[in-house]
Amino acid sequence: MFALVGRSIESLYQVARGLKTVFKHTVRPPITKNFPDDMPDLPGHFRGRLALAVNPQTSEHLCISCLQCERVCPDKCIQITSHKSPETNKPELIEFKIDHGLCMFCGLCTEVCPTSCIINTNDFEMADYTRESLVYDLKRLTLSQDESAHYFAKKELPMPKPKPPKPAAKPAAPAAAAKPAEDKPEAKPEVKAEAKPQDLPAAPAPESPKKEEQ
Amino acid sequence: MSVELSSPDLKTDEMIINMGPQHPATHGVLRLILTLDGEICKHVEPVLGHLHRAQEWQGQNRTWFQYQALIDRVDYLSGMYTSWAMARAAEQIDGLVVPKRAEYLRVILSEMNRITSHLLWLGTYLIDLGAMFGFPFYPFREREKLFDLFEEVAGQRMMFNYIRIGGVLRNPPFGWFDKLKRFTDEFPDRIDEYEAIVTENPIFLKRTKGVGILKKETAMAYGVTGPCIRASGIPLDLRKTKPYSVYPELDFKVQTMDGDGDTWARYMCRIREMRESNEIIRQAIEKIPGGTTEELRKLLGTTGPEKDESKDLDPSFLLMAKKQNAGLRVKAGEGFAAVESPRGTIGCYVISNGSDKAYRFKWRNPSFCNLSVLPELLVGAPIADIMAIFGSIDVILPDVDR
Amino acid sequence: MTSSAVPYNLNEIGKFFLLSGVWLGIIFGAVWAACWAVGMLVPQLILNAYPNDPCALNVANAIRLLTPLVGVMVFIPINAMYMVLAERRGLALFTVRKGPNRVGPDGFLQTAADAVKLLFKENINPHGGDVLMFTLAPIIFFAPSVFGAIPLLAAVTSNHDLFKIVNLPTGIFYVLAMSSIPVVGIVMGGWASNNKYSLVGGLRSAAQAISYEIPLVLAIITTCFLVGSLDVVNIAQMQKGTDNLASFGFLNWNFFGAGAIPHYLDLLMQGKLEGAQVVTSAFWSLALAFCCILLCGIYLTGACAEINRIPFDLPEAESELVSGYNTEYSGIRFAIFFLAEFTNLFIVSTVAVVMWFGGGATPFPGFLDANTFASIATPFNQALAQAGLPPLMDGQTMSGAFWAIFKTYALVYFAILVRGTLPRFRIDQLLDFGWKKLIPLSLILLLAVTYIRELV
Repeated sequence: MFALVGRSIESLYQVARGLKTVFKHTVRPPITKNFPDDMPDLPGHFRGRLALAVNPQTSEHLCISCLQCERVCPDKCIQITSHKSPETNKPELIEFKIDHGLCMFCGLCTEVCPTSCIINTNDFEMADYTRESLVYDLKRLTLSQDESAHYFAKKELPMPKPKPPKPAAKPAAPAAAAKPAEDKPEAKPEVKAEAKPQDLPAAPAPESPKKEEQ
Repeated sequence: MSVELSSPDLKTDEMIINMGPQHPATHGVLRLILTLDGEICKHVEPVLGHLHRAQEWQGQNRTWFQYQALIDRVDYLSGMYTSWAMARAAEQIDGLVVPKRAEYLRVILSEMNRITSHLLWLGTYLIDLGAMFGFPFYPFREREKLFDLFEEVAGQRMMFNYIRIGGVLRNPPFGWFDKLKRFTDEFPDRIDEYEAIVTENPIFLKRTKGVGILKKETAMAYGVTGPCIRASGIPLDLRKTKPYSVYPELDFKVQTMDGDGDTWARYMCRIREMRESNEIIRQAIEKIPGGTTEELRKLLGTTGPEKDESKDLDPSFLLMAKKQNAGLRVKAGEGFAAVESPRGTIGCYVISNGSDKAYRFKWRNPSFCNLSVLPELLVGAPIADIMAIFGSIDVILPDVDR
Repeated sequence: MTSSAVPYNLNEIGKFFLLSGVWLGIIFGAVWAACWAVGMLVPQLILNAYPNDPCALNVANAIRLLTPLVGVMVFIPINAMYMVLAERRGLALFTVRKGPNRVGPDGFLQTAADAVKLLFKENINPHGGDVLMFTLAPIIFFAPSVFGAIPLLAAVTSNHDLFKIVNLPTGIFYVLAMSSIPVVGIVMGGWASNNKYSLVGGLRSAAQAISYEIPLVLAIITTCFLVGSLDVVNIAQMQKGTDNLASFGFLNWNFFGAGAIPHYLDLLMQGKLEGAQVVTSAFWSLALAFCCILLCGIYLTGACAEINRIPFDLPEAESELVSGYNTEYSGIRFAIFFLAEFTNLFIVSTVAVVMWFGGGATPFPGFLDANTFASIATPFNQALAQAGLPPLMDGQTMSGAFWAIFKTYALVYFAILVRGTLPRFRIDQLLDFGWKKLIPLSLILLLAVTYIRELV
């Protein structure tokens, strides 16, 4: 009998303790945010929508059509169309398609990209009405110069060297090569000046410049 | 006083209920075919495979580099561990020695992941028990803080793709270690709060004490691992019993519970494990070679991350033992590695034929083995306890079906 | 504890109270305006138009009689709308969230939007279900709560002229009788859904309602016995304290022993107690107060079970039975179930307030009492009188209504807090608790109260 009363009192005390703890939370500030009004502050390495960066200094398109991202993509959601430029005998980008409905945002393509062209932006609001509109083409993928600069700074990526102005020229002339047309580089994209020696015959894979080895 | 219920006039029927695959409390798509007598469960038949994604087959058809990104998805609540098991198996074949700093980062990140996984379990378990509107938000609040940290270092909240064959992806950004330290300081207080609400709550005790008793023998016979078997009193924890990585250098205890191994013990075991993981993180932050990212940078005398410091560098400060690229290859051979995940032992068996793809993958997933003991526990339990018991095992269905 | 480091943020609490205040003002303003129009304005206009016409007198009286019904009809839907919002915002406060704050200013119209949405949703009849019963179930669930609320109107308005007619000599019994009907609706809904989960939910509800009805009714009977009345108005009035006891304020409430403590203090102060009587009387008074607190606890527990609130929400146990009896319901029928649930919560809180917490009595004599409100009302009434219209309100009624509402919502908020904290019982533990703990306890209390009553 007394044990029962004791147990009841103990139970009531424990319930009251729980109620008190819950009630204490009323004065704590809310942890939720009014989402569209105040956007989350995402870190630079956040893996959001994929995009193609241009050179933040010269606004040249950085893609060199090396097809590494297309090859490494586990979902096969990247589709690159390029052709060999008749003048320079180098691949030239025609179309770049990413099916974001298929993409799983693993970020592998950004890791293998030798020129830091394809990057994960912080954009995550990609809801759309049709599946077709989730397939982004070159125009929708390419970032503006300001955006590219923003992401290059945020992700601490090494600044790409500007492309040589003349087809056959060696990387001698630094700047002054700012092409008027921002994307679609007509002329001979080239691997970054100090192209790494290819260590694997099967998959030519220069190390990602993003790897920060210490 | 006993009442004869089965009089010839009174016709009773057994009722067959389909619980799932779209039941709100089956944590995914498990289907349980229950034969009920009134509210008492007479027979249980779990139906698996609704979420089968052929993860092993996918591993055999993707390169190592690609599969690393995919494998987080097996157990989405503790993605670090699946990556870790696979990375260890591949390192075993390749004979790689992972740098110390990378090992410490792996330990820190995966213990964080253990906490997030247990926190999610705690919230959803209380939902299973009917505390639907208040308590579950508290664990999620702390989980969110950890996810923010994950996001900073790995890029995403759950699909980390951080542990790689031979090391880890990258160093945490500046200020990350401080944030983590602050979290470890306040987290024990938060657990105290959870316990104030839940642990001694009379209704919670009634729902969990003596419910779903898992005997030692049964647990061993079914190959149960993780908190479930530790709650039954068996100190099986790979971090201690088969130490890997830098766990021998860290001071922690395996949390076991005396007694029956009922659902309350499983709850308590997880709560204690969270405290223990918190301690491990705290120690690991102290011991990590090179210290925080800021300290490391100062040590190396560099400012930016882009500078290549690999020449005159203490090898233990590296992040990768082997350069990772799209054509990553692992030597021919076979290997097995297991790590202790929040749900139990994750084992990965790999045969490599030396190409950039594995020849065969075989996963040993803790959820699958733990789930197999479920019919044993459920028979004779009332329908309301089904959720209490099922929830306490902490099964992740993608992990079961793979 | 690092909780001291947590910045205190009263912003959300302030918003919550602002929202509550505005909603409650609108609710009770609307109800009172409707009652005033139907009960006073229209009859007077009729009488003014046709003076000395017996037919007009009859019509006016007939319209006057409709007042309580109109009041309840206006009150219940708006009130439930507010309560849903209050619950969501209250739970958000307890769980460090913000809650719905998008529709209207700061989420003010969220439930109105939800209600409109539910109204326009399709009514789906489950395949193989009994359509007639399926349709009737929500109505049977809802209607008793409307009718059950009517006698309470008289109690919370301090027996205002308009509501006198709904006061029954056995008012509390009427309320109890009405409150036990909804379970029929739940069982019907569960049965007619042709869904096993719903059926189990419905049957659980029946078992639960039957077993918790007994301690609930016993607790009320004991209190009625102590007070010596079944009339809700009478019970509420008594807790104001008679004559010189009125100055003891809230100690007069049934919660503190139905006036035993003020009675004792009064005798003590007048020096009428001597020797050992001082101690024994004090003991018995306190014992009676303790019994009453227990009775109130039993009532609140039983009421929680009766209206299927957490921790007794087994019939709809979302994680086990997928919402139980209302799994198959959609559209307006589901809305009615939802509405009735919250109305029931309000009604059981009102009953508790009337039975134990002094009805419309002010807790501290002189604090926001009839005089205060009368001074607010007078200018309005004078203005109306100049226009030849009936007075809008009187202080007595306003004070009663204010405090009754205040206390009722305090109980409702407590129910929300409980909902945010406790897990759910299991059905056998629930029945165990009901039959083996609450019923014996309430029987013991019945005996104890009859005995102690004579000693106080």
